[in-house]
Amino acid sequence: MTDDKFFERLREDARPLQYDGDDFLAARIAARVRERVTARPPTVAQLLAAWMRPVAASLAALVLSVTIGLTWSQQHQEPTPEPGISSNPIEVAMAGELYGVDD
Amino acid sequence: MAAGRVRGTLTGTEWERLTQDDPFEGRAIEAVRSGNAGSYDYLVSKYSKRVVSIAWGIVRNAHDAEDLAQEAFVKAFQNIGRFKEGEPFGPWIYRIVTNLALDVVKHRSRFRHEELTDVEPAARRDSAELGALSGELAQRIDAALQSLPENQRVVARLYLVEQFDHAEIASMMNLSEGTVRSHLSLARKKLKEQLADLYEGSHD
Repeated sequence: MTDDKFFERLREDARPLQYDGDDFLAARIAARVRERVTARPPTVAQLLAAWMRPVAASLAALVLSVTIGLTWSQQHQEPTPEPGISSNPIEVAMAGELYGVDD
Repeated sequence: MAAGRVRGTLTGTEWERLTQDDPFEGRAIEAVRSGNAGSYDYLVSKYSKRVVSIAWGIVRNAHDAEDLAQEAFVKAFQNIGRFKEGEPFGPWIYRIVTNLALDVVKHRSRFRHEELTDVEPAARRDSAELGALSGELAQRIDAALQSLPENQRVVARLYLVEQFDHAEIASMMNLSEGTVRSHLSLARKKLKEQLADLYEGSHD
């Protein structure tokens, strides 16, 4: 058998090797392609919203954490002692002179 | 994967002739270019099986082949403005899917070591997918084709299995016709050595 004849025969015999898939192949691909090519591009508002959403979320988280922190610190702050005599020395003015009364 | 069927009778050239005679195709392309995406359905439905078959012949994996077909159609849609008016859609989408599939094969070859050691051997995976093959003869031919070096294998598959002619293959693979003929000549020699027993005794 010549090379050409062999290749011709082989070409006939190889045709069944074409992949045909299942009965739903064409419908499946058409549906997937349709979904992608008919998807509408996002509007300006949607683009802005998509950009602003993480920024707003970050800000909200920051405000919340600051609020919680302040509230906690106020609740756990130690009471300041009442001012005592030692911190307020008694001073007596007498005959134009000022006298202090220490402990 | 369901068992495939013999596609039957159309060669690549016959397929193109049928395409050129199809008035709906030209209208669908015009409609898509005018912004009617729904008309693209016609083109996808018409070419999807053949596009998947081309991809499968190169990547040898049904799931990848479907993904590649999908990508090829989306890419063609996105570039429909560049499509030359009056030309058949087929060669264009075949060229796109062939190039996408060859990229996948090149990418795989870079990671061949990991692929062979991490998952089951490619040969076993392939044989599990060969539901499309009918009979021992087809399996022998398929195995012989798979044994060829990559370029020869792809060119030989497009010629022998998908029934494209030299010029169509050259266009799809961005090669010269001379290179295609050279690959086919080398492939023919190797295939004849491997399949000699199947055809010995046959007379011209």
